[in-house]
Amino acid sequence: MSFVPGQPLTAVVQRIQIQKLRQGENLILGFSIGGGIDQDPGQNPFSDDKTDKGIYVTRITPGGPADAAGLRMGDKLMQVNGWDMTMVTHDQARKRLTKKNEDVVRLLVTRKSLEEAVKQSMGSFPRQ
Amino acid sequence: MPAEVKQEQSPSNATTLAMMQEPQEVVEETVTIEEDPGTPTSHVSVVTSDDGTTRRTETKVTKMVKTVTTRTVRQVPLGPDGLPLPEGSSPLGNYTDSIDRRYMKNGGFITPQATSTLTRSYNNSYNDSYGETPESQYVRHYGLHDGYADLTDNYGSLSRGVNFRPPRYPYLPNSYRPENSYTLPIRKDDYGHVAQPQVPMGNSTVDLNRSQPERFQPEPYGLEDDRRSLGPEEEEPYELEPDYSTANRRTLQGANRGRTHREPLRDVPRVRGYPDEAIEAELIDERHPYIHGMYSAPLAQPERGSMASLDRMGGRRSPSIDSIRKDPRWRDPDLPEVIAMLGHPIDPVKSNAAAYLQHLCYENDKIKKDVRQLKGIPVLVGLLDHPKSEVHRKACGALRNISYGKDNDNKVAIKNCDGIPALVRLLRKTNDMEVRELITGTLWNLSSYEPLKMVIINHGLQTLTNEVIIPHSGWEHEPNEDSKPRDAEWTTVFKNTSGCLRNVSSDGAEARRRLRECEGLVDALLHALQSAVGKKDMDNKSVENCVCIMRNLSYHVHKEVPGAEKFQDPSALQAPGSAGPQRKKKDDAGCFGGKKAKGRKNGDDKNYDTLDLPKRSEPSKGFELLYQPEVVRLYLSLLTESQNYNTLEAAAGALQNLSAGQWTWSNYIRATVRKEKGLPILVELLRSDSDKVVRAVSIALRNLSIDRRNKDLIGSYAMRDLVSNLPSGQQRPAKNLEEDTVVAILNTIHEIVTDSSENARSLAQAQAIEKLVAINRTSQSARETKAASHVLQTVWSYKELRNALTKDGWNKSHFQPTVTATPKATKNGKPGYDDTTLPLMEKNQDGYSTIDQKDKDCKYKTVDSSVDQTEREPLKNDTNRKHYIRSNRPAVSLVDACDVKPQPVDSWV
Repeated sequence: MSFVPGQPLTAVVQRIQIQKLRQGENLILGFSIGGGIDQDPGQNPFSDDKTDKGIYVTRITPGGPADAAGLRMGDKLMQVNGWDMTMVTHDQARKRLTKKNEDVVRLLVTRKSLEEAVKQSMGSFPRQ
Repeated sequence: MPAEVKQEQSPSNATTLAMMQEPQEVVEETVTIEEDPGTPTSHVSVVTSDDGTTRRTETKVTKMVKTVTTRTVRQVPLGPDGLPLPEGSSPLGNYTDSIDRRYMKNGGFITPQATSTLTRSYNNSYNDSYGETPESQYVRHYGLHDGYADLTDNYGSLSRGVNFRPPRYPYLPNSYRPENSYTLPIRKDDYGHVAQPQVPMGNSTVDLNRSQPERFQPEPYGLEDDRRSLGPEEEEPYELEPDYSTANRRTLQGANRGRTHREPLRDVPRVRGYPDEAIEAELIDERHPYIHGMYSAPLAQPERGSMASLDRMGGRRSPSIDSIRKDPRWRDPDLPEVIAMLGHPIDPVKSNAAAYLQHLCYENDKIKKDVRQLKGIPVLVGLLDHPKSEVHRKACGALRNISYGKDNDNKVAIKNCDGIPALVRLLRKTNDMEVRELITGTLWNLSSYEPLKMVIINHGLQTLTNEVIIPHSGWEHEPNEDSKPRDAEWTTVFKNTSGCLRNVSSDGAEARRRLRECEGLVDALLHALQSAVGKKDMDNKSVENCVCIMRNLSYHVHKEVPGAEKFQDPSALQAPGSAGPQRKKKDDAGCFGGKKAKGRKNGDDKNYDTLDLPKRSEPSKGFELLYQPEVVRLYLSLLTESQNYNTLEAAAGALQNLSAGQWTWSNYIRATVRKEKGLPILVELLRSDSDKVVRAVSIALRNLSIDRRNKDLIGSYAMRDLVSNLPSGQQRPAKNLEEDTVVAILNTIHEIVTDSSENARSLAQAQAIEKLVAINRTSQSARETKAASHVLQTVWSYKELRNALTKDGWNKSHFQPTVTATPKATKNGKPGYDDTTLPLMEKNQDGYSTIDQKDKDCKYKTVDSSVDQTEREPLKNDTNRKHYIRSNRPAVSLVDACDVKPQPVDSWV
């Protein structure tokens, strides 16, 4: 799951679309993120490569929009609405996700189980 | 002088060798060598020192010499690669087996040990051999040199190429000797020639030695074992022989090292060398004088003193000798060179190089790092697949040492070149116990680094289970009538493997799920533990590891186990909107599981005695075994019998985990503990001298008191022991318990007095109020203060008690929180954090179990940094968060103090 910024990356990704939940003034996605190029990647429990400064899903609100959309804890965000998430600061990622004027976010995520499924089946398409 | 030399093997050596090596056959060989009469030949006796260094003594002899050598050799690979064998043609050839030679008392005859050559060269151990020169009296004629010469040349090229020292040793042809060439030079020759060429030969001998070193001394290292060869042992034999004064030195040094070092397994030969080196430095100055002396009367002085000097010289020899001889050939290989040798076409060279690396790396972080940076690790990993056992064994030994220590980069480097699958592959392939020990030891080391845990699980879990855990546990999948129940065998392999699994079991919800679902694992572990209880053998490390695994796997079973939903206690209210506490698997790691339950009122007061244990149509198996009420008896037995604090703590932790949560099984567990008379056992352990045991037991009692009957009983019978663990005022009790423990006890007391004025009354009667007030007012610990404050507030809330309390001189102010309202924990202060997710207890507990913390909070693991700790055992407490939350409502948080490290940013979106 590690990669070098700027280098071609092969990743198995899943598209996930999340409809934000509106609660009063707030739009809620129902998950939390960790990581970013300004964070200590060594503390990221989800990454295999401890130099990976990507944005990871750290928590999911059960029953929340992200949960419903199939996002999982530990997923790595590759893109948000087409914006790269592999080389951004934590705050940039947060802002991308929390645009007030966007009710829907489309994520490109990757996760270990996806990659493993692909590896193990050697080409057969992962179920997820 | 017809020299008949009988070589006696020093017992020690022989034994060591034997032990070390795999099941090698012990062969005694008697070799009679006739040397050409009258031909002035230089005889070289080589003594292999413990270190594996070879000593040679050369003596010119004009006479014929018969040498009878008795060798005890376990597999002696003669002429590995065939190289050494050729030498055999010459009388010297016999010597190839360095070991035998060593044993020869006459020392002089000791053949140059091929095996040690590499090592030797590195070690300056050679010197020792020189010392032996006096022995030269026995002079043998070694035609060997010549024979070796060819080989040497080959090696020489390698060495040279690599080398630092170019032309030190001129090869000493026999011609030199005639001059009274002294042993020193000769040796060089040996090295140059013999050593490398001998390598093959040496392998046999060397292997033995090395193998020995590899013995595990696991204890010191919880997780990681670096094993060295047992240098000292080998050396000892020398001591036995008075003739070799040199030997003594070695032994001393070697002994010191070997014993001191944690890493038991190393290559002997190297070890030996080292000690000498140290000496050498000192001796260097002296060398020349000695040398001269030597020359003057090499043969004449058989005395130890002289010998000693010689030996020393030998150590130093390289310079002196070099200078003297100007032999360009020999030099110590440097690290790049050694690594290059790993790729040498000759297998013995590979294995020797790997063994040498293992030795060098022992307790030397710098070398480990250098090996990594020189790209040596992928080569070593590549050798794991080498068909020859010597090669993959040595490579494995080197990897084990490299993988040990705080430098996680080394571990990552092994992982990055697919070392983990390679190790696992080798484990499946080999039946050699020693190799298996090395493999599992290496995996144990690797498993101490958080990011590698999942990798190990992915590649090795089932293999480790099938290859080691199940067979060694005595458990069988489907026992047939014939099979008798077997006891677990506490082998090193089992210990290492269970240690490895213990580490990986702490890697969070997903890791736990994988282990639980690993076929046969839980069954085998339980069988092993039951067998331990049956045999009353519960204090060893393997048991400790098994219990720790069980504890970890018991953590959050009520939320993580497939089908857990079905068992949820209906009385446990789910907060509206929460998906339910039992989120599965990874998801559940989320923090929310318990949060929303905050508002829940206690439905847990019901008396579970009325509950019938569920009837099972078929025996439970796999992870179901984790939480069957039957395990309670097992843990209670451990708690009763074991003297091992870690085991006690883990067993208490397991009960704690199992009794947490709101599902049917935890209800049964809580009731079963009571019925099995477990409460007195736990209370008894509150008096333990071990802080962590007290803590685990205390938290277990708290969870158990969710059961109303238990709460009443604990309130009646445990209160005094709980209170006695509290510090009184600023004076700590004799035990001087840690803050975490004190807080845990306070929380347990709080739990017990909540909803029970009876228990609050007994608390007051236990003289606890004074202590609580003192803690509340004077404790340096904010957490202790808060916890005490909560208890006091709860006590004061019972109006029926106020009268009595007032009579004792207390008033309301004593039960008020002290001044500063506890600020929220900084952690909690984060905007993103939902406080509900972090119930007070949880955090407190986090302190206990690093692992849990992760899961609970879902934040980045703080734990990682602590990797070095020997074994991480996650304790977990699991806590009934809900419960706590409920009870702790008033309190803001005991939580904060827990986090020492800055938390990574984590934002809700």
